[in-house]
Amino acid sequence: MGVLRRHPALVPGLLFAAALLLAPALAERGTLNDLWNMAFFVVLAAAWNLLGGFAGQVSLGYSAFVGIGAYSTVLLANAGWSPWLTLPVGALLSAAFSVVVGLPTFRLRGPYFTIATIGVGEAVRVIASGLDFTGGSSGVRMPPATFDFNSNYYAMVGLALATLALVAWLQQNAFGLALESIRQDIDGAEALGVNSTRVKLEAHAISSALVAVAGSLYAINFQYISPGSIFDFRLSLTIVLMPIVGGMGTLAGPVIGAMLFSYLQIKLLASPALRDSYLFIYGGLLIVVMLFEPRGIMGLWERLWSRLPRRRSPAIAEARGAG
Amino acid sequence: MQKFVVVALNSLLTAGLYATMSYGLAVIYGVMRIINLAHAGLMMLAAYATWALNDRFALDPFLSMVVVAPAFFLIGMGLYATVIRFLPRSSTGPSMQSLLLLFGLWLVLQNLAYAIWGGDTQSILTPYTMESVRFLGGRYGVPQILVFGVSIVSLVGLNLVLRRTFLGKAIRAVTQNRDAAMLSGVNAGQIAAVAFGIGTAFAAMAGSMLSTLYAFTPDFGRSFLLKAFCIIVLGGMESFTGVAVGALVLAFVENFASAYTSIPVSFQDAISFTLLVVVLVAAPGGLPGLWRMLDRRVVAR
Repeated sequence: MGVLRRHPALVPGLLFAAALLLAPALAERGTLNDLWNMAFFVVLAAAWNLLGGFAGQVSLGYSAFVGIGAYSTVLLANAGWSPWLTLPVGALLSAAFSVVVGLPTFRLRGPYFTIATIGVGEAVRVIASGLDFTGGSSGVRMPPATFDFNSNYYAMVGLALATLALVAWLQQNAFGLALESIRQDIDGAEALGVNSTRVKLEAHAISSALVAVAGSLYAINFQYISPGSIFDFRLSLTIVLMPIVGGMGTLAGPVIGAMLFSYLQIKLLASPALRDSYLFIYGGLLIVVMLFEPRGIMGLWERLWSRLPRRRSPAIAEARGAG
Repeated sequence: MQKFVVVALNSLLTAGLYATMSYGLAVIYGVMRIINLAHAGLMMLAAYATWALNDRFALDPFLSMVVVAPAFFLIGMGLYATVIRFLPRSSTGPSMQSLLLLFGLWLVLQNLAYAIWGGDTQSILTPYTMESVRFLGGRYGVPQILVFGVSIVSLVGLNLVLRRTFLGKAIRAVTQNRDAAMLSGVNAGQIAAVAFGIGTAFAAMAGSMLSTLYAFTPDFGRSFLLKAFCIIVLGGMESFTGVAVGALVLAFVENFASAYTSIPVSFQDAISFTLLVVVLVAAPGGLPGLWRMLDRRVVAR
């Protein structure tokens, strides 16, 4: 149990993971759907955070990768593949595309990179709506009888947990340090021997592959995709908002953001009055976070925590008493 | 040859609109080093305002600009005073924080339009919408010609203000060097507020003009924002001549690509996005930067 003592954050994480994995035996289908949705958002947010949070390369074009995963699955399944076998194909295609996109755009810095990624995302959507083999703007359907909710649930929750484990492992690695150094000062990082382009490309490839697998599972779950649903700018937007609101560049931030947003989405879809104001809520959140606490909920938490009057440990009290 | 002339004239007409659309972004970027992502939302809002004036009072969309542009100037000043002012300043370049904040503002504006006018597609029909003029063997729509005329007038007007008035000189001074301008007694905060107002007013004029050419929804404007951004990058971000040249380049590339290649019309927007990425990567200094680079190489020989 030494590991647990050294990493106290593992305890709630493991309990949470166990609860998620046991849920199908206990909970109803409606609750499971909500949990599936939450896991989907956790994958997207945590994967995006690898490049956007740790390395500070804010991309607004991630729906392209969700779409590549989803389209690979549907098109290959229609060609007779087993849906599960299509997951690695989508991931590889997405990673390859991330390199194609990254090679030119990673030469740009800060906001210029962000705006170029809006362009890339839009171009992919426009092209996917115009091509014949993607079914154009009307979309494509999975072949019938390729769907089993329980296995999809386990796959999505497993993917979310694996993503978090991977991000946590990368974070305390030399790779995580390299990403952090790029965010703080890219020239300084280069001077210290970090090959920033290579590191950014690797982070981009890893996160886009994870996002593509989530897209594939999305397609299997909903059985139907179209450029309007999967390449939607709103999806790119949500992917970015979750880590920003939760706290960019932290492990827990994207999870908190994803839980908040899946809850919001469920509430928003349930009430007609709120459904019409989701952009207002998202935009308002973005404005408030950027004006008052750019480090999101995690930053707010840290600030409040440090202000909290707290009991001093006996050793310190003793030292003070003696002094 | 015939086709060439027609396509070239069409490109020229488009370029006028593109320039108006981009000047607002360039003024704001120059003075504040902010990329105004809310530009698209402001264009959309102005399109709706124009439509509403046309619908209620049968006001001609081109005449309504006389009301819409000053109103949006005030809205821009108001936005500056309530939100933009509180952004931390960065001297090196636009900060991620400002970009994301303005992005949030854009979303709020979109929602505002959804709440007021709903999500239906709207368009403005005037007696001359379908009219066209024959010239040098081609047909040109009357709205396009009017848009071009208004663009030229507004751009000449802006240029006169920037070159002849104290306010304009102050704006240019802050654009060139904020600290030096402040040392010379320019109130940079006030200038920033006015510049944000001017930028918003130009977004509004572009929005009014777009409403006479295209149908629109609250989601309208994203592709035009990317085009405008492509243009100011081409123009070197700050130079006003650069913006005009950038608008011409984009308009010609788009029109000639769809007239002379087999790229389908539905992909036309992808042209500007691709051009944007290519320019950002290959010539981050835009055309002026490219020009300087070539100049230096020639001198070196």
